[in-house]
Amino acid sequence: MTNGFSRRSFAAGAFGAGALAAGIIGKSGASLAQGTPKRGGTLVATWGGGEPQACYVPAGGGSSPTFSSSKLFERLGRRTMEGAFEGELAEAWKPAADFKSYAIKIRKGVKFHDGKDMTVDDVVYSIGEIWKKYAAAAALTDFAGVEAPDSDTVVVTFNKPVPEFFFSSLLCGNVNYVVPKHVYAGSDPVTNPANNSPTGTGPWKFKEWVRGSHFEYVRNDAYWRKDMPYLDRLIIRYVRDPAGRAAAMEAGDIHIGVFNPVAPPDIKRLTGTGKFVATSKGYEESVWSTSFEVNMRNPIFAKREVRQAMFFAIDRNLIAKTVYYGYARPGTSPIFSPNKEFFTADTFKTAFDPKKAAALLDAAGHPKQKDGKRFTLNLLAAGWFAENGKIGAIVKQGLEDVGVGINLTVPDRPSSIKRIYTDYDFDVAISNQANPSEPVPSTTQYYTSDGIKKGVPFRNASGFHTPEVDALVEKIKVETDPAKRKALVVEFQKITTLECPNLPLVELESITVASTRVQNHSNDPNYLAASWHDIWLAS
Amino acid sequence: MAAVAAGSRGRAALRLLRRRLIQAVPLMLGVVVINFCLIQLAPGSFLDLMTAENQVSDPATIELLRKTYGLDDPVWLQLVKYIWALMQFDFGFSYRQNMPVIQAISVHLPATLLLMVSSITLALAVGVAAGVVASVKVRTVWDSLVSIAAMFFFAAPSFWLGIMLIVLFSVKLGWLPVGGMATIGGVGGGVAGVLDILHHLILPTLALGLFYAAIYARVMRSSMLEVAQLDFVRTARAKGLSRNRVTVSHVLRNALLPVVTILGVQMGTVLAGSVVIESVFSWPGIGSLLFDSVSSRNYPVVLGIMVLGSLVVIAANIAVDLVYMWLDPRIEIR
Repeated sequence: MTNGFSRRSFAAGAFGAGALAAGIIGKSGASLAQGTPKRGGTLVATWGGGEPQACYVPAGGGSSPTFSSSKLFERLGRRTMEGAFEGELAEAWKPAADFKSYAIKIRKGVKFHDGKDMTVDDVVYSIGEIWKKYAAAAALTDFAGVEAPDSDTVVVTFNKPVPEFFFSSLLCGNVNYVVPKHVYAGSDPVTNPANNSPTGTGPWKFKEWVRGSHFEYVRNDAYWRKDMPYLDRLIIRYVRDPAGRAAAMEAGDIHIGVFNPVAPPDIKRLTGTGKFVATSKGYEESVWSTSFEVNMRNPIFAKREVRQAMFFAIDRNLIAKTVYYGYARPGTSPIFSPNKEFFTADTFKTAFDPKKAAALLDAAGHPKQKDGKRFTLNLLAAGWFAENGKIGAIVKQGLEDVGVGINLTVPDRPSSIKRIYTDYDFDVAISNQANPSEPVPSTTQYYTSDGIKKGVPFRNASGFHTPEVDALVEKIKVETDPAKRKALVVEFQKITTLECPNLPLVELESITVASTRVQNHSNDPNYLAASWHDIWLAS
Repeated sequence: MAAVAAGSRGRAALRLLRRRLIQAVPLMLGVVVINFCLIQLAPGSFLDLMTAENQVSDPATIELLRKTYGLDDPVWLQLVKYIWALMQFDFGFSYRQNMPVIQAISVHLPATLLLMVSSITLALAVGVAAGVVASVKVRTVWDSLVSIAAMFFFAAPSFWLGIMLIVLFSVKLGWLPVGGMATIGGVGGGVAGVLDILHHLILPTLALGLFYAAIYARVMRSSMLEVAQLDFVRTARAKGLSRNRVTVSHVLRNALLPVVTILGVQMGTVLAGSVVIESVFSWPGIGSLLFDSVSSRNYPVVLGIMVLGSLVVIAANIAVDLVYMWLDPRIEIR
């Protein structure tokens, strides 16, 4: 899962005007891939956030290092825009009959940037030492071992049956890369100096990092995909200020910006010149939400009706329209609506209804007192995104309208992480989540007892857990029949929407802005984390 | 006689330098203690973020990290250890950049110093010249123009001015680069490389320096008008000296004293202002490093920047004192 605080600069207000969004995005599709690829040239890219702490962070470290490292390293598999899984550094994989192990056939002829061959040893090391301990520690709880029975095959074994969708998603995970064993073995992967000048197998080779300015990558001439990449150089440039990014794009200094690089008015201005397109494609596997969590440690929330009342009192459409300028839609389920595999609309709905909220609070034994208040709560809006503070004001108004007193605070990022996920110092909180299609563990961990990990952000901070949900998630983890598994996930959604411990207020749309010269972009469902091997620049 | 006077002034300057350096020791100690305590008051620590970003949840590992980074010591002991390390020029280690603090800062410091020096130079040159023109041409259209321009640049927020400069000179006219310190990919070293950096330096220097130029222009104008009324100027005129000579040799030199005074005081604010300008122009100075370090509670780097920043301000103020003595030999600063 992507860490929530990594997406710092969608704060730049880069969710544009709704009407504007529809028109702009409509233009983009045809321009993403046209004509015969042209060779050569330098592409300058940016993203809607800051410079990473390291070029590669084994545990992920957020979207910024994922963006920089994903051009240098590669995964065993990838997901296509159509939703299919296909091999990248693996040619194929298949489960054993009991689904307790998977055999991965490794692609031959792949070389690391230092000229050494990628072998099964590198894959075994990456899965056993990097994924298990850092990159996919939360997902690999039932991991039993990994070995290479021959020079072509790696076998991963588990203590329990593992669904194929889960395993395939694991191979495509954000930073589940194949790293060179000869560089990392015997060192602490977190502090290995190679993290700042990585050696991978990707289409781009690290050349230089000018701190505070940019990364410079050059074409990997020994890349295993024939005749790719098309470009000679890829520059990842960091511009902290969204207005500065817009100016740099308009001046032709930056060709493409992913993940909300500029403010909404600038999207309109740039696309209005006819030299840029904007698209919301390329984020299907990394949908973000703004969530509302209640702290079950407060006895007031022991009754389900009180939790439900909180959600009935909040106008999610207002949030989508005013805070995100229409670049968002009300959330209805912990599984987000673009998730074709598992989303269901058949859940308990908590659409804006202040009267119902008031009635639920009355019925739960919390009538209004003489001062007009039923009780008072501490609302913490996580300050890593500017939008959260604005949503906090809307939520405060909505809850106060039904007689719930609110003390709103908007601490900065470190304080928010500590108060929500370490100290549990909140009654209700506004936070953010980003989830891929596979619900285990990225989504389910917010609702299970094993998701309660003090000090680890973007886990179960509400403290909600029931034997019923724990058991259901355990079934989801091991159910290998896709249809039965989907039914279980639907059941999971029905229970969690009814219980209301932590639900999305809105699902967010992310935007890429690119020069019309840029071809073959936004063609991966997690484009920020894609390798960009086939991107090219038209004349 | 002149040689004796010069020697005497030289010795006085050395005495001043020695005194200021001794005074700088408790000053630096105060800076370190106050900044260390302020940082400790902020909620959340870099360990919280580090464990969060690396998804570390094992209490034993967290405790080990706490011990590794010396966070299990009482705060007073951490402070004593930090001061002891500083005395050995050890600024600590930045876990985030995975390198010693001094190395992390030294990567960015030259860019900030370059921006500061160029901005101060611009501010002094433009501000003093504009102030002189306004005072010599007092109550004329030139005086009004200088006053209006000074008011505009004083009132304009530097980030707004920066963006406007980018829109005009980079986006519309295409004369100057939008940001960065050098052309990515390079134009080669030597003279071409220096010219490339200067090309990139123009807009950030204008955005940062014009604010201070506005202040200096206003101060210079009033100071010039005030000094022009003094007896020694009247005497110089009575001796038959030309207007230009009186203005340059007598009025200007004495009128510079207030400008030099505020220059020293403002060294710290110039450093702070560069943080904003660096953000607007993607200038790879310590501004972005400081911003990231504060938001990630990377205390060793924050403290390192504070200490080095204080050293720069102290050094600048010592230099100002020496310039003061040079400008006005009557002054012996104690």
